[in-house]
Amino acid sequence: MTRSNMWIFILKRLVQGIFTVWFIATATFFAMHNVPGDPLLNDRATTEAIRANLQAKYGLDKPVTTQYVIYLGNLVRGDLGISFTQENREVNDIIRDHFPVSAILGILAVIFAAAGGVLWGALTAIYRNRWPDYVIMFLVILGISVPSFVVAAISQLLLVNVNDLFGTTVLPVAGWGTVLHMLVPAMVLGLGTMAYLTRLMRSSMLEIVSSDFVRTAKAKGVPPARIFAKHQLRNAILPVITVLGPSIAAITTGGFVVELVFAIPGLGRYFVQAVQQLDYTVIMGTTVFYGAFLVFMVIVVDVLYGFIDPRVRME
Amino acid sequence: MTDLSLADFQPLEPGQEIHGISRPSQSYWQDAWARLKVNKRALVSLYLVIGLLLFTIAGPWVWTVDPAQQDLDQVSRPPGADRNALIVADYAPWQTEGLSFGEGLKVVGDPTTQAVKLKWDAIPGANGHRIYRNIFPIGPERSYGIPRAEFFDNRVVTFEDRLDLKALTYYYVLVPLGPRGELLDNYEVIEVDVHRVTTIVEAVDRGLIEESANLQIGDEINLDWHPFGTDYLGRDLLARLMAGARVSLFIGIGAPFLFVLFGVFYGSIAGFVGGRVDQVMMRFADFVVALPFLLFMILFKISFGIGPGESGVFPMLVALVVLMWPATSRLVRGQILQIREQGYIHASQLLGAPTRYLILRHMIPNTLGVVLVTITFAIPSAIFTEAFLSFIGMGVAPPTPSWGSMSNEGIKTMLTTPHELIFPALFISITVLAFNLLGDGLRDALDARMRNQE
Amino acid sequence: MNSAPANSKELLLEVKDLAVEFDTYGGTVQAVRGVNFSVEEGKTLAIVGESGCGKSVTVQSMMGLIPMPPGRITSGSARLKGHEILGRTIVNGKEIRGSEIGMIFQDPMTSLNPTMTIGDQIAEPLQVHRGYSYKKAFAEAIRLLEMSKIPEAAKRARQYPFEFSGGMLQRAMIAMAIACKPSILIADEPTTALDVTIQAQILDLLQDLQKETGMAIILITHDLGVVARMADEVAVMYAGKIVEHGMVDDVFYRSAHPYTLGLKDAMPNNDPSLQHELKPIEGSPPDLFSPPQGCGYTARCPYAMQICSKQQGENTYLTEHHFSRCWLHNSASPNKPDQLYFKEGA
Repeated sequence: MTRSNMWIFILKRLVQGIFTVWFIATATFFAMHNVPGDPLLNDRATTEAIRANLQAKYGLDKPVTTQYVIYLGNLVRGDLGISFTQENREVNDIIRDHFPVSAILGILAVIFAAAGGVLWGALTAIYRNRWPDYVIMFLVILGISVPSFVVAAISQLLLVNVNDLFGTTVLPVAGWGTVLHMLVPAMVLGLGTMAYLTRLMRSSMLEIVSSDFVRTAKAKGVPPARIFAKHQLRNAILPVITVLGPSIAAITTGGFVVELVFAIPGLGRYFVQAVQQLDYTVIMGTTVFYGAFLVFMVIVVDVLYGFIDPRVRME
Repeated sequence: MTDLSLADFQPLEPGQEIHGISRPSQSYWQDAWARLKVNKRALVSLYLVIGLLLFTIAGPWVWTVDPAQQDLDQVSRPPGADRNALIVADYAPWQTEGLSFGEGLKVVGDPTTQAVKLKWDAIPGANGHRIYRNIFPIGPERSYGIPRAEFFDNRVVTFEDRLDLKALTYYYVLVPLGPRGELLDNYEVIEVDVHRVTTIVEAVDRGLIEESANLQIGDEINLDWHPFGTDYLGRDLLARLMAGARVSLFIGIGAPFLFVLFGVFYGSIAGFVGGRVDQVMMRFADFVVALPFLLFMILFKISFGIGPGESGVFPMLVALVVLMWPATSRLVRGQILQIREQGYIHASQLLGAPTRYLILRHMIPNTLGVVLVTITFAIPSAIFTEAFLSFIGMGVAPPTPSWGSMSNEGIKTMLTTPHELIFPALFISITVLAFNLLGDGLRDALDARMRNQE
Repeated sequence: MNSAPANSKELLLEVKDLAVEFDTYGGTVQAVRGVNFSVEEGKTLAIVGESGCGKSVTVQSMMGLIPMPPGRITSGSARLKGHEILGRTIVNGKEIRGSEIGMIFQDPMTSLNPTMTIGDQIAEPLQVHRGYSYKKAFAEAIRLLEMSKIPEAAKRARQYPFEFSGGMLQRAMIAMAIACKPSILIADEPTTALDVTIQAQILDLLQDLQKETGMAIILITHDLGVVARMADEVAVMYAGKIVEHGMVDDVFYRSAHPYTLGLKDAMPNNDPSLQHELKPIEGSPPDLFSPPQGCGYTARCPYAMQICSKQQGENTYLTEHHFSRCWLHNSASPNKPDQLYFKEGA
């Protein structure tokens, strides 16, 4: 019974996802076409050649609705267009070159945030009102109130000092390439989310800790370690997994600052550049791509949740 | 056992005072306030929030300095830095006749913000010299600093620096040049403490003293007081923080209020009407939630025609409202659905209560708790978003102050003048913290009662 | 204070002077204010009282289920087979909970882990206390489900709690609680959350199991009907104290405390000959933040006297096992209402 439920569940989610991506694409399209003044008629499109290309490709002389249809058609074929400012560089290529970097950074940050959040949150609930609770919650409060860019800048400063102290490069301060390059940025990126997840896990655990079924487990004489693992953790982690989807979203977009500060050649930094240069195709393409990626991640998380909480599968 | 008399066994009159039978009952809000008061962290946060609001609204009335005014004598000064300036005569060109040499690289006279005069002996083997100025001491890996002058004639042994002098400690580096003008290795360095000076004319000009004041050369006067220091353009930081507060809090509180209001409206309708309408409304809300938040914030700004480097306070407000209302509507809808099933709604209906009464008297007051908590948590989120966007240049841009854009400027000089970063970042942190803790406290105070009501 | 005459048979469980209080944001609540009772092998003791009278706290504190930072056992002792168990969960090297004493709770829907199968949860105490392997424990779990009269036990064991109805869940809980063959089963309002017809089934199941295994049952309830059906002994609790205690017939037909009378009057009855106008007890229980100096029932008692609001009564023994804590039984009291039972020659 549960097998087929699972597939139907996944299928439903996928179909919903497609509609959602369509909505995102549409919203993006109309947001960009709302920009006062024709983006092509100013000197953003740098050469005649580019302008001619774009004109032909997007039908920019045709009415908006036709453009929209062309746009959707392109999207379905996976064609995100050509950059305005970089001659003949396809948006797809840009994404292909830079997205993996952001993805790795994001995944590391998510792992860091999730593992840390569950661990610290569980600890504060178990040692409630004793010193581990106070210490962790203090750090959490710092984590949620200090802006991420400040943390990024300060951590970079610390790295410089540490490197000076040891006379060599313990950890690289900027750039990308090796595992060492990834560690500090991923930690900085995941910090805010980790603090948030810690709090969430804490309140979830506290609720579970005083729940009826934990009381039953105690009344059965189950030893504390087993109660923690099988009864408390398994149930308390559910809300955390629920927000994991949106958290991934937050982390991926929050990557902008980290990429900027640590000079990481990721898609976020590229996006910021594109905005500063008003490179419209890149902006649109990146937005739709990110949107689709996030929708996909949310579906993955939902399916994961369905595996853990049997009640959800029966919808 | 104590002695008992017959009187003890007489019947008790109804209504007679009986010790310890009941407590005065409290209303929902009284009970919540009692719980909140006990929560010390939440109480402190409440005071902080009130303090911040006072700071923002009443602050400029008390501290009337114009945030845009530049005090060029005190650029990038940390708080508490000394602000004395010595009165000196107006500038007169330096006469170098009669100077004695043979002492190596030395300062001539008093080094002031008006001019720093240096003299030296030609370095052996030098065909010429170049002078650098640095604010850091020179080390093996360090660069020499800003080049200030270059002389290809090694007989030139004096230099007067007048460029952009501040009241700091400078390190002047004298580097010999080779026959082809290349830098040689054996440099000399001198540490120079520069004193701040001003002339009477300048002082009167800037309103530091009355014209009629009786000042002589050699007197000391106080420059403007900047309790939080100044930024890189000489603007008073406290005044800028207040102005920035207005922007940051306007967006930070205004946007949540609006989108929560809209969310309540939307969610109540969906929850109350139910059925197909509810489904469609919620599906639409889900779509909006799926839009990548930060990307669309930026998109909105562009969409309104604000270019990078320009400020868009209003578009940011609109963007926040448009992107964030769905979460609230879901919450409110859930509350309404829950309340609808409660016994007291059915009871009220049975007693003949009209729908409007039900909504006003039963549903709205019971959602108020959730709504209040949502607003309180939405505020720090909005403030962060504004700070974040302003930081990457996608929000409020200079010269409009906001705590985020001030942080952006402050990071650039983090190593030399950390106060320019610390203060706005601190204000952001404290505000966010206060609202978060307050939200926690409110939720605990209101939620406990709700849970007991089941 | 009059004490019960010594009994030659050793008691399975003996509770003396148990007092429990809680720290809350409004002050300290004295939930249990000096409770004494005992349980014999193979017998059923019912503890009756309204919500908030302290009956759940009493048994839960014995089982160590009350979180001890806000809660506190301020005095008393509880001896299981002669060994003190208050404040301890391991006695003589053996775990008490789940093994010597089993417990089932009021709401089966929330009292079971939603993410574990029923079979796993029943198997758990066997794995923990008896060292069974998973396979052996699970097989035993299926057998226990059958013993609890759950059809298709093997299939059911692999299902999750949300797939069960309330009555079946309660049966599963019972199966779980008796898995290790405890000597006492504590049932905290086991039927309150269930339909009346299901109630009868569950109670029958409990009685059958008791006959099979010989275990004692402590039954917590506010429903006199359940008491009449199941109990051998009854303890009536009010405001943290036991106000009447005796064999079930004594307490029902020879009630000696006004509160017991009040409970009986408020109970609906199917028997036409016993039908009367339902009389709810006026008023509400006292505020236990500052407990009354006198008897807690004073404000609602139709026979209240001056002394009742000033001092608490003492236990008056009407027979060997039947006592009542009420000033009416004091020799100096002139009023002896007809509805109550009094000692011969009082």
